[in-house]
Amino acid sequence: MATDDPPSHNWLDLPREIATTILLKLGAVEILTTAQRVCTSWRSICADPAMWRSIDMRNTGDLSGMDHDLVAMCRHAVDRSHGGCVDINIEYFGTDELLKYTTDRCNHIRRLRLVCCNNISDEGLCEAATKLPLLEVLELSYCSFSKEALETIGQCCPLLKSFKLNSQGYRYTHMECDDEAQAIAKNMHGLRHLQLFGNKMTNEGLKAILDSCPHLEHLDLRRCFNVNIGGNLGKRCTEQIKDLRRPYDPTDDYEFDATIHDEESFDDDYPSGFSDIDFSDYDNYYEFSDYDDYSVYGFLYD
Amino acid sequence: MSSSSSSSSSPPCPKKMITLKSSDGETFEIEEIAALQSKTLENMIDENCASTPIPLPNVKGKILAKVVEFCTKHAEAGADAETLRAWDAEFVGVEHAIVFDYILAANFLEIPTLLDLACESVAEMIKGKTPDEIRKFFNINNAFSPEEEEDVRRQNQWAFE
Repeated sequence: MATDDPPSHNWLDLPREIATTILLKLGAVEILTTAQRVCTSWRSICADPAMWRSIDMRNTGDLSGMDHDLVAMCRHAVDRSHGGCVDINIEYFGTDELLKYTTDRCNHIRRLRLVCCNNISDEGLCEAATKLPLLEVLELSYCSFSKEALETIGQCCPLLKSFKLNSQGYRYTHMECDDEAQAIAKNMHGLRHLQLFGNKMTNEGLKAILDSCPHLEHLDLRRCFNVNIGGNLGKRCTEQIKDLRRPYDPTDDYEFDATIHDEESFDDDYPSGFSDIDFSDYDNYYEFSDYDDYSVYGFLYD
Repeated sequence: MSSSSSSSSSPPCPKKMITLKSSDGETFEIEEIAALQSKTLENMIDENCASTPIPLPNVKGKILAKVVEFCTKHAEAGADAETLRAWDAEFVGVEHAIVFDYILAANFLEIPTLLDLACESVAEMIKGKTPDEIRKFFNINNAFSPEEEEDVRRQNQWAFE
């Protein structure tokens, strides 16, 4: 290898696994639109099912300005995985049909992330849940699924260890609702991580969760303004939870826009500028602050 | 840490140093604790092969110096995550030919943090570029036949033509 070195490094000499690692970081859209068109070597890597164990359909959210049909693209990605997809991220698009297409073909999904998927219905999600028995990590952020859907997921996915259910933060205290917290408490006992940014739950909901999730180590309650962590409840949280984020804690490491809404209505309007959200932090997906134990995500390194 | 019954005649040091030798004959000292970030070196240390300079025929001196710097920095106690991230960003903020060498070194020495950092920085160089721009940037020849080009285009059912 030590020829008198012309400074030309041949990037195609990189071991295949490393080239795969690099290309994976581009996300599925760029892999399909760009990376596989660079040369035959990259084309071959992009055709390998191993490349599609993890399907990250991140995008800018500007669907009207996009040249591609993301649903069709995602279906294609699922096809390429040959049933081996274990991890899929869908944001800003997504339909019941696509979810069904994916879960029909991929029986070992362990991580599912749905962000701003307005076109996926409760029924669609519930049906998918019945085909996700190995699910360990779930994120449903800025979607609007009912508590029944959460109950179904809890019942269908006994291995669930990490759940993120993030919503817009609202400050009006009369908008209290413990439905989601109760659904989680009743049905997701195995949780180690829980992120409920902007949730409308009260102390009752929090107590229910603390009572029912004995393995909970990481709890993010930022912008849960109806929760009052003082006194005994606060003490209990500190004792039980290794990594606690309180309602008024800083949000600079939160991956979405943390704008608080003071409007009355909380139907599913999304704030303007939502598409400006910086999703480049997807790599922080696994990161809860100070969380060192990645063993729960070991499946990705199989 | 294994208690090494090394037959070295020098008195025990508070910080045990390991010596590494690059492909072009340069030697570098590294604290054992920093060296343990490399699985390759860790294995050698465990098997007590680490009393003489460890030859690393795959790594040039110029790169090995930087690898030692990286491992030493990452072995420091009490570094806060944000500062380290900024340091890392600067570390890989170099021309891609050097990042290429970092990748090969990190792969050979099995340093997952460095490998991931370097791969991430290469991905950043690729993002947003067209296939043509990527080829030019990385000096890659496009060996596609016209049929293969057509093949890819046909597969793109997602494109709104």
